[in-house]
Amino acid sequence: MKKYFRELSVAGALGILLIVLAILAPSFYSPQPLLSLAARASVSLVVALGMALVIIAREIDISVGSMFAVCSVCAGLFAAMHWPLALVIVASILVGAVFGAFNGALVAGLGLPSIVVTLATMVTWQEGLRWLRQGEFVNLPDGMQWFGFSQRLGQWTLVIGSIALLLLLALAMKHLSIGRFIYAVGSDAEVARLSGIPPRFTTFLIFVFMGALVGLAAIMNIVQSPQVDPQSGNGLELKVIAAVVVGGVSISGGRGNLWGVFAGLLLLACISPALTHLHIEAYWEKAIQGVIILLAVVAEGLRSRKALDHG
Amino acid sequence: MNAKQPTWKKNLFRHEAILLVVLIAEWIFFDVIGRNFGTYDNSCDILRHSCEIGLLALAMTPIILTGGIDLSVGSLLGLCAILFGKFWRDAHLPIPVAALCTLGVGALAGGLNAALITRLRLPPLIVTLGTFSLFRGLAEAITRGVDTFTNFPNSFLFLGQERWLGIPAQAPIFIGAVIFFWLLVHQTTFGRTFRALGFAPEGVRFAGVPVERRIAMTYVLAGIISAIAAIIYTARLGQAKADAGNGYELYAITAVVLGGTSIFGGTGSVHGTLLGVAAIAVLQSGIVHALQPSEMAGMLTGALLILALTSSVLPKMISGLRARKSALKLSKPIA
Repeated sequence: MKKYFRELSVAGALGILLIVLAILAPSFYSPQPLLSLAARASVSLVVALGMALVIIAREIDISVGSMFAVCSVCAGLFAAMHWPLALVIVASILVGAVFGAFNGALVAGLGLPSIVVTLATMVTWQEGLRWLRQGEFVNLPDGMQWFGFSQRLGQWTLVIGSIALLLLLALAMKHLSIGRFIYAVGSDAEVARLSGIPPRFTTFLIFVFMGALVGLAAIMNIVQSPQVDPQSGNGLELKVIAAVVVGGVSISGGRGNLWGVFAGLLLLACISPALTHLHIEAYWEKAIQGVIILLAVVAEGLRSRKALDHG
Repeated sequence: MNAKQPTWKKNLFRHEAILLVVLIAEWIFFDVIGRNFGTYDNSCDILRHSCEIGLLALAMTPIILTGGIDLSVGSLLGLCAILFGKFWRDAHLPIPVAALCTLGVGALAGGLNAALITRLRLPPLIVTLGTFSLFRGLAEAITRGVDTFTNFPNSFLFLGQERWLGIPAQAPIFIGAVIFFWLLVHQTTFGRTFRALGFAPEGVRFAGVPVERRIAMTYVLAGIISAIAAIIYTARLGQAKADAGNGYELYAITAVVLGGTSIFGGTGSVHGTLLGVAAIAVLQSGIVHALQPSEMAGMLTGALLILALTSSVLPKMISGLRARKSALKLSKPIA
């Protein structure tokens, strides 16, 4: 109970928000809008899961928004060339993995700080994409939307798919050696190395995996609309980092779990629709998001300070 | 330690010298291929346009020297710009008073960062990520996303658009800030503390320096400078909107790192930052004058940063590999 206090408190906050909504704005719970909300949140969830691994390993990746845009446009172009759906999905994941590998090579191979590396790649890919495409939308062929299913079925596929991924990753982080490696590298890379874990290779793999997940999320996003918006990744990095931090993953690495991230993401995802349903102006969304991030880090800081005082 | 210091100094000098050569090469290149690039008018334009990012980069230098980072400066610029507009238009304050109030807001906002970072010992990266979102969000909430402040009096727009003694009117403020930060970082004990903090914060604490106060100072300064940049920005464009300064924090950090300041803290210089700002500004102006799309400048800035970072660690890597190889050779006969 005490060990998971941080995760439970986020879940508690989410519960309170949901109860408040149930009392003040029951219209929030009408099934179709709620399903659409969940389908949209499942895209961020996939990216947030990758980001959680990156942050647990004591790195950060702020280029995910740019990678997301590049993957979306590439996938859209592949689809427009009438590639089969499965091939488009694989290609998008591969494109993401290649971009992730670039980050990983600079961070793990050259030992550069990930914040600056991904800052640079973020600007480079974003401006490069804008230069090549001039902000043009890509029209998708008919069979692409909702994977060719009905809208309801497509949305359920996204939601169930992302939750299955969450389950798999959460289990892997707990029971597979690679999962334990990630925690070990994030806690203390030197100690990890001395105990026979290759910290650099682990870090490299995490960045590749992050890229692959961004590629997957890009596919999950473009099937929701008939066109690919090249700006769809704007601000995604902040959204997912916020979800990860709010979910109790320590920014200094080595601590946190994916269920907390799940709760954090749902909490943040509910804010915008909650504002509309509670008749608060939507312009407050970003400010409230900022306050939630700050509250989360302050809570973390107070806790670790208490632990220091007692220890 | 004594034997190491001269090479370290030499390296620092070398980095800035290389950057200066790159800058001159950039200038000559664009002068040859671009139209009207090397004129005095265009130089003034470059100075005018790089003023705000230059100010933010100057304020970012001491912060990065201490091993911190401030992602919120761009958002704070936006918040200060619209609050300045609010003070002037809706509170009917005269421009100088409104400007003073804006500086106060900047100091307060910097103080918020400083308090969270030093009092609660939270990592600067995540604190300023939170305030990045908060400040921009407040700016959007106050203007409801649409409100724009315009029709400032000409006497105020002079600051951003006219010339004074032949140089852009905002240049004296920028030069003043350069001198202030150069003295602060290179000529005072404060500057020494900043660098020492980047090397070994615990050591500095044991040396009896009020660590929290020094770190807090850098963030409050960044807040005030962001407010000054906001006022200059408003004067240059003649309007204040909630999206003012979007992405400026990235350019400021790029300029600082390009200028040779280590992102881990401890080493770096104000003149390096200045060269970094100039390299980016010349690149942006040059691309436009060479009739290339402006996105290319952004892309090249990112690529330049990656290159600068790579070139800063490659020599160390190579010597490290060599040392390992010779160590292996040595260990073989024993095994």
